[in-house]
Amino acid sequence: MKRIYLIAGVMVAIAIALLVNSAKDMSTYGSFADANTSSKKIKIAGKLAKNKPMVYDPVKDPNHFSFFIKDSEGEEHKVVLLKAKPQDFEMSEQIVVTGRMKDGVFVATDLLMKCPSKYKDEEIAIKSKQNG
Amino acid sequence: MEKIQYIGETLLPGQIGQLGVLLGFVGALLSMVAYWFATQRQETAEYESWRKIGRIAFLTHGVGIFAVIGSLLYAMTHQLYEYQYVQGHVSEELPMKFIFSALWEGQEGSFLLWMFWHIVLGFILLVKGKSWETSTLTVLAAIQAVLGSMILGVYFGFGDEASKIGSNPMLLLRQTIDAPIFAQADYVKLIKGNGLSPALQNYWMTIHPPTLFLGFASTSIPFAYAIAGLWTKRHTEWLKPALPWALFCGSILGTGILMGSAWAYEALNFGGYWAWDPVENTSLVPWLIIIAGVHTNLISKATGHSVRSSYIFYLLSFLLVVYSTFLTRSGVLGETSVHAFTGSGLGNQLIFFIAAFTLPSLFLMIWRWRQIPSPKTEEATTSKEFWMFIGTLILLFSAVLITGSTSLPVFNKIVQYFNPAYQGRVITEPVIHFNKYQLWIGVFIGYFSGFAQYLRFREHNWSKNAQRFAIHVGVALAIAGVLTYLSSLLIQLPTWQYVLLTFSGYFTIVSNLDYLINYLKGNLKAAGSVFAHLGFGLMLVGIMASGVNRKIISSNAFLMDGLIEGGDEEMSKKNISLFKNVPTLMQDYMVTYVKDTLVDFTRTYTVNYQRKNKAGKVIEDFNLYPTILYEKTFTKIATSNPDTRHYWTKDVFTHISALPEVEQNFELKKQREEELKYKPLELAQGRTVLLLDTLEVENRDTVFTRTFQISLESISRNPAHKDYKPEPGDLAFSTKLKIRRSDDDSVYYANPAILLRGQLIYTYPDQIDDLSSKFKISQEAIEKVFEFDNQLKYEDLNLRQGDVGNWQDLKIKFSGFNKNPEHPDYTRKEGDLAVGAMLDISAPDGKVYHAEPIFLIRDGQPLNVKVEVSELGLHLRFPLLDPGKETIQLMLAKSSAPSSIPIEVATDALPSNYIVLEAMEFPGINVFWLGTLLMMFGLGFSIWNRMSTRRTAEVAAA
Repeated sequence: MKRIYLIAGVMVAIAIALLVNSAKDMSTYGSFADANTSSKKIKIAGKLAKNKPMVYDPVKDPNHFSFFIKDSEGEEHKVVLLKAKPQDFEMSEQIVVTGRMKDGVFVATDLLMKCPSKYKDEEIAIKSKQNG
Repeated sequence: MEKIQYIGETLLPGQIGQLGVLLGFVGALLSMVAYWFATQRQETAEYESWRKIGRIAFLTHGVGIFAVIGSLLYAMTHQLYEYQYVQGHVSEELPMKFIFSALWEGQEGSFLLWMFWHIVLGFILLVKGKSWETSTLTVLAAIQAVLGSMILGVYFGFGDEASKIGSNPMLLLRQTIDAPIFAQADYVKLIKGNGLSPALQNYWMTIHPPTLFLGFASTSIPFAYAIAGLWTKRHTEWLKPALPWALFCGSILGTGILMGSAWAYEALNFGGYWAWDPVENTSLVPWLIIIAGVHTNLISKATGHSVRSSYIFYLLSFLLVVYSTFLTRSGVLGETSVHAFTGSGLGNQLIFFIAAFTLPSLFLMIWRWRQIPSPKTEEATTSKEFWMFIGTLILLFSAVLITGSTSLPVFNKIVQYFNPAYQGRVITEPVIHFNKYQLWIGVFIGYFSGFAQYLRFREHNWSKNAQRFAIHVGVALAIAGVLTYLSSLLIQLPTWQYVLLTFSGYFTIVSNLDYLINYLKGNLKAAGSVFAHLGFGLMLVGIMASGVNRKIISSNAFLMDGLIEGGDEEMSKKNISLFKNVPTLMQDYMVTYVKDTLVDFTRTYTVNYQRKNKAGKVIEDFNLYPTILYEKTFTKIATSNPDTRHYWTKDVFTHISALPEVEQNFELKKQREEELKYKPLELAQGRTVLLLDTLEVENRDTVFTRTFQISLESISRNPAHKDYKPEPGDLAFSTKLKIRRSDDDSVYYANPAILLRGQLIYTYPDQIDDLSSKFKISQEAIEKVFEFDNQLKYEDLNLRQGDVGNWQDLKIKFSGFNKNPEHPDYTRKEGDLAVGAMLDISAPDGKVYHAEPIFLIRDGQPLNVKVEVSELGLHLRFPLLDPGKETIQLMLAKSSAPSSIPIEVATDALPSNYIVLEAMEFPGINVFWLGTLLMMFGLGFSIWNRMSTRRTAEVAAA
């Protein structure tokens, strides 16, 4: 057996071990119920509860944006994002927040949202009278 | 439905384009087949004719694709919105310089760009490929056929479902969607384009995609050579011509990726140059593999080892590009990426693309495995080839880890296919995850590319080399250690892993410099590899400085992603609110939001940074100009562009992360403006008026009241309001109001203004954000200040030319006549006799005003045109001219000071005078850019070196 194959073999083994180990970095999307029982950071995917208040007052605190989302189990819960309010937030279809529960509020350090694509709406822009 | 005869459609470009699409596809297929036969019948008489057909077909294919691009560009530059692609990507407002960006913004356009480069590269192979022409072009034509199918846009039925192959960019809008407007025959006149997303309207979008796609396209050439080598069993010959192509690919693809990260850094606002986003990852992985291929290729050429690895790497690099296309365009990534992906409907076709090239590659590789030469002797552990090979394994290792993690959504999809109940997994914190593993790749590659330089290929005489090796490595290690220590004084090396990484970076830098000086003796011809590895070392140090030590200056925390458990919550607070003209201390800087200006759709903010030394002297003073780009409707912000102050040693980066709601949406601003509850007040000079303001408290039944004390300080007929631009003939004034509120100790002043221009009244309210209140002058005030002419009491004054007359406290000098008088209210008519009296009026304060009232005779009737010196409240008429005595008669009147001014006050105004800012410092970021550029330069340098030695060899042979 060549030494080089041996080394390659060891590296493959390490690669597999690392990939398996990296499963620790992965999780399924959780729910607020999960967040209540865990102190670790989790990701929650949900929809914006549009009827609940959405508060962002940069005059008081530019790193505090609070809103409510409904998770996959239908629970509505308050979320505080420690960042500025993202553009087009109201238009989001789905929101993924990363964070943990603190004093009954889900404190998120990261937020990803999926917006309807700009060109997906098959609307044809009609020239307004002035231009036409 | 009745068939409509449409008016105004330009159908010719579409027809040419459609023909081009077909020609491109058929040409590629034919070329593939012909070149295949040519390769299979290399030694026979048929060879020449097959090759000829192959060439003609490939060129025809090229002409076809160029025709598609040409007609599409024609349609785009002529704004033929009847075409779906034009309507989706171009608009009237789109500047011509972005027409190419619009071309490759869409899916179809980027496939065309990819094919374009393949044609260019294929043409080089056709001319210069010699014995490799037929085999490599078979492969390239096959790739082109598959890519060509992506823009075919043909439907065919399988049972009930119609399947679509490709998405054709030349389709008419009415062929792709069904809308009521197509009931009108002249719909073309009525529609307009969507245009290019404002976020993409910058020069990066012009240069980044072509470079990146040239990089992607150039992975096809080593791939084609690898397939050709396996196919024609020329397992060692292919290595030589493939190497420059692989180097070219490494340098161009690398540059393309770097442009992407420079774009992200310069123009996007996530504050960094690398985010481990799937799109970034999947373009990085083919690059890592092509670089691994370059190394095994060098080993194979020098020693005959690693031929199989070279095959595998070159095959893999292209296959990973195809896989990356699948990941980013099929929609499978879903919400794991910030890049917006929508399923293109090409998912299955893209899977076919992967299979069509992976399976034959795999099959050929297995079939030929035993034939591929592999020396029986083992590489010595003291030889260069041994450690270079280990290095390539580490690159592969890195690629496997990145691809594995990035492919998680694909893995989820596959498992869900078999087990629908399976819940997909996601990486909780991708940046931390990738950094954790890739750090080690950096460490190992750093060490290897340092000491492997000193080793020799096919080492037979180690004992002779050993001592020199030990000395050089030892010294390099020692210097690297010192440099690491010195760096730790400047930047933070938070954990021992990062210390190792920095050390490894310095070790590569030192040993490569040493190798250049002491081994190559400054011979630059062989220095390509030194430059590239030196660049890698600098890149590591640069990442350490600028990435790990990135400092958020708009908060007070060091951002060290994931190093302190739980600390990240404090660290995610990166924003600061800056109020206009209120200097705010931010770390070492005193930062002030000075002003903002709106030009077209871009609002530019001036943010001043000042840093003082201990003695209080300003040692740094600069402005940054981050911008906000509005959507065309001004109801949304399209994009926020950062601005960066570049120093040799660091960058200061600033972007606007939020604006007051009313500044984001002008419709809302107008609406809020209309909703404001204004209360009328009558203000007399010298008297203070009280206003009781009630405030409802959220969720409680109580209200809470406070009092405003408002008094009129003065009236100015010379209004200065930020929105008011004086024009001749304006009647305008402003009031200075003094305001105090019971719950606030400060005294505030507001200066609302009002203007009568022609028949229209304009009000200019003034807002005091600290009191969230807004003040404006009521429209009735106009009449009070600028009295109507019939209410004025005119007095006469006779003057001769050159006379100075006194009237009240004014001195009026009549300096002469103007035969061509002008006045906004006077339009000259045929037959008018008109003169203006040129008057200089001196006020008691020494100011001199010029006025020119007009006397005229029209149709035998004497008339005059009044002028008003609004600053003095003076009204002037010139009703009579006595030519005999050479005197003029003037009529003068002065507005009386109004007893009171009606104003309106709203106490529920939304604050609008602040910005939310995020600012960061990137120390040593230039080291990162220098390192990466040096890497690319090194790769390019190696090609040049190889080409020139080959040319010399050819000349020598001849």
